Amino acid sequence: MRAKKLSLSSLTGFSKNNLQLLRLLVQQELTLRYKRSVIGIGWTLLNPMLTSFVLWIVFSFLFAGKLQAGQQFAPYLMAGILLSTFFNQGLMQAANSIASNGGVLTKVAVPPRIFAFAAALAAFINFLIGLLPLAIVVYMSGQTLKLTLPLVLLVGLFLAIFVSGIGLALSVVFIRFEDARNIVNVLLLMLVYLTPIFYPIGILDSRMQQIVNLNPLTSFLDAFRWSFSDNAVVTWADFTYLAVVSIFSFIAGNYFFNKRWSKTIAML
Amino acid sequence: MNIIDAKNISFAYRVLNKQHSSLNTLFRDFLHGRVSIEDYLALDNLTFEVKKGQTVAIIGKNGAGKSTLLKILARVIKPTTGEIEITGEIAPMIELGAGFNSELTGRENILFYSSLLGRDINKVKNRVNEIITWAGVEDHLDYQLRTYSTGMVARLAFSIATDQIPDLLLIDEVLSVGDGEFALKSKARINEIINSGCTVIMVSHDLATVAELAQKVIWIEKGEIKMVGLPTEVIAAYQASGS
Repeated sequence: MRAKKLSLSSLTGFSKNNLQLLRLLVQQELTLRYKRSVIGIGWTLLNPMLTSFVLWIVFSFLFAGKLQAGQQFAPYLMAGILLSTFFNQGLMQAANSIASNGGVLTKVAVPPRIFAFAAALAAFINFLIGLLPLAIVVYMSGQTLKLTLPLVLLVGLFLAIFVSGIGLALSVVFIRFEDARNIVNVLLLMLVYLTPIFYPIGILDSRMQQIVNLNPLTSFLDAFRWSFSDNAVVTWADFTYLAVVSIFSFIAGNYFFNKRWSKTIAML
Repeated sequence: MNIIDAKNISFAYRVLNKQHSSLNTLFRDFLHGRVSIEDYLALDNLTFEVKKGQTVAIIGKNGAGKSTLLKILARVIKPTTGEIEITGEIAPMIELGAGFNSELTGRENILFYSSLLGRDINKVKNRVNEIITWAGVEDHLDYQLRTYSTGMVARLAFSIATDQIPDLLLIDEVLSVGDGEFALKSKARINEIINSGCTVIMVSHDLATVAELAQKVIWIEKGEIKMVGLPTEVIAAYQASGS
């Protein structure tokens, strides 16, 4: 445990006390959202199940028969919901985290990136919690979990890295321009529809398939579905693609953020 | 030994000739060639030093640049040009309770706020009782902060901020915390900190307090240092200037 902490702090440039703060922030993100609800953190379990159930009723007629042999629509759909929720929530919360903590950041010298990382990590942990109901759905639909299951952690970690990189870059833009948030929301909606979340990629024509396959979220989703319960076909190219995209976004996002930060904080 | 060494520091806010808060208006004006960039100098070429253990007050009118200077001292922003060197641990009391979360309990806020100030929360855990007793909110430790009165929140924040004596304490008008009794208590605590050898920098409009506590006064006007010296001299000149 100690060795891990040391390497983490040398990797991010955060002190040990900064990492304690990161942990507190993640805890807050996870617990405060449902603080005033009766079933509390149970919502993290229920939410993806309910959303998946509604979409399953709507789309199972249309798409269940279009999947490849051996794939099941219910776990296919729910995996899509879990991953896109992770991406959307993590990204928007990371992007908003700097602005919403502006009151603190202008008064206390604390590394601002901690807030974005906490948002991405909290979304990651929510995603991991959601794997529990997904496993139940997998067994209910007659499939079994695969031995490649630990790879899900790797996919999730890369998505968290991806989300914090892009979130950091967006956070600066959001503070500078009020309407950027609305534009990004529309772009995100497009991105989500260009990801095979509730439809099988086979229903698209070959040109659209090419576009959808270029979308990094598609690679994340395929890798996740394949490692968890064999509901997608993945190659090493997909894993390489998502690793390269996330590491690049992380470095670029951090670089952009650090470059703009001194100008941005004057606007907070 | 100097704890702060500032050489020719300036801070400029970069502003477009018109504030564009949206991409829409910026794009429209850009097309019409109406966009230009100007720098607004909030601090202009300040050079000063603060010795270890000194208590220094910064005075000046509203908008003179005091808050910007305090932010630079708190390491929140970096000067646009010039060099500043600050050694040691800093405790900023620029706004008491900035960072408190009203949904968290008093205990959770103690740990969270301390963590924001860069402290080791494992050490703070052993200090919770002292912090809460000094703030006088023992009975509310495990209640959410939103159930606290404004005075209770301010007392708790003051108690946390001053629990560990830093190398440099920055104070922005926070001596006027709470009711009469607590104001006296917090003043006593500040005195205690000053006497412990901690360097204190305060921004205040309360010239009586400045005269009482400070050993050196920096008077800032329109982003420039107008006068530095002993409290009695600077305050006299400041008052004579009609402000």
